[in-house]
Amino acid sequence: MTFSHECIVCIVNTGFSDAVMDAAREFGARGGTVIHGRGTASREAERFFGISIQPGKEVVLILVPHDLTDKLLHALYRAVGLKTPGQGIAFSLPVDQVVGLSTLSLEKSGEAPAGDGDADKS
Amino acid sequence: MEQNETKRRRSDRPEKKSAPKKKNAALTAPKKLKLLFTVVDRKKAELFSDLIGGYGVNLQILLPGEGTAKTETLRLLGLDDTARAVIVSVIRDDKAPAIFEMLEEKFESVRGGKGIAWSVPMTSAVGVAIYQFLSDYREGQDPARANERGKRS
Repeated sequence: MTFSHECIVCIVNTGFSDAVMDAAREFGARGGTVIHGRGTASREAERFFGISIQPGKEVVLILVPHDLTDKLLHALYRAVGLKTPGQGIAFSLPVDQVVGLSTLSLEKSGEAPAGDGDADKS
Repeated sequence: MEQNETKRRRSDRPEKKSAPKKKNAALTAPKKLKLLFTVVDRKKAELFSDLIGGYGVNLQILLPGEGTAKTETLRLLGLDDTARAVIVSVIRDDKAPAIFEMLEEKFESVRGGKGIAWSVPMTSAVGVAIYQFLSDYREGQDPARANERGKRS
């Protein structure tokens, strides 16, 4: 089953949501929503893998058309992946229904209405 | 030959007694569940939460969030009002169209209520009681009345 849109969830260290959005905008995303959270990680696993997990996290939700998902996930991996200071992970969820997407700017640019996702109109 | 014999043997077997069926027991397949994400202005979060709650939604989580400003200039000038709320609701699949229709209408008609909503399918939930709670399943309830309840907002 294919879905027209997907919801990309990107969890990064506090302060890196801008880097996430910069990377996402390059591939056509127009907006996102940031939720603040607190990460939990096993102390033992941290010692074993030799990494430290910063507890403050930002969860960025971005709604994008299905065909942009792969490119965007790769861009996020490069910009804020686990080996960067952002220490981010990103995954996508299938979206089976959506309302409220703005189509105004797409009509201007002559693209199809389902061509872009935007999680807020800030 | 053997096949005929097998058939005869099967027909000789006494029929198993089926369990007595309950009268008026409406057997229906379990309804699928979805996670509904609604992103709206934080001031309107309660309103939208109540509206969604009117559709027999028993579990909702309100998360304070922020929108991402469109331009750095707007942010520097303080012209971006980015306070948002993310409402995560567990909804039943069969009620999703009505909820989306309502949300679409409210996004247009409520002043400052512009937002976006999307749903993600849920693939599993553990525990019968949890499922019944999430799907608002009430034993013995007339399905027609359940729909009426769902439409109330």
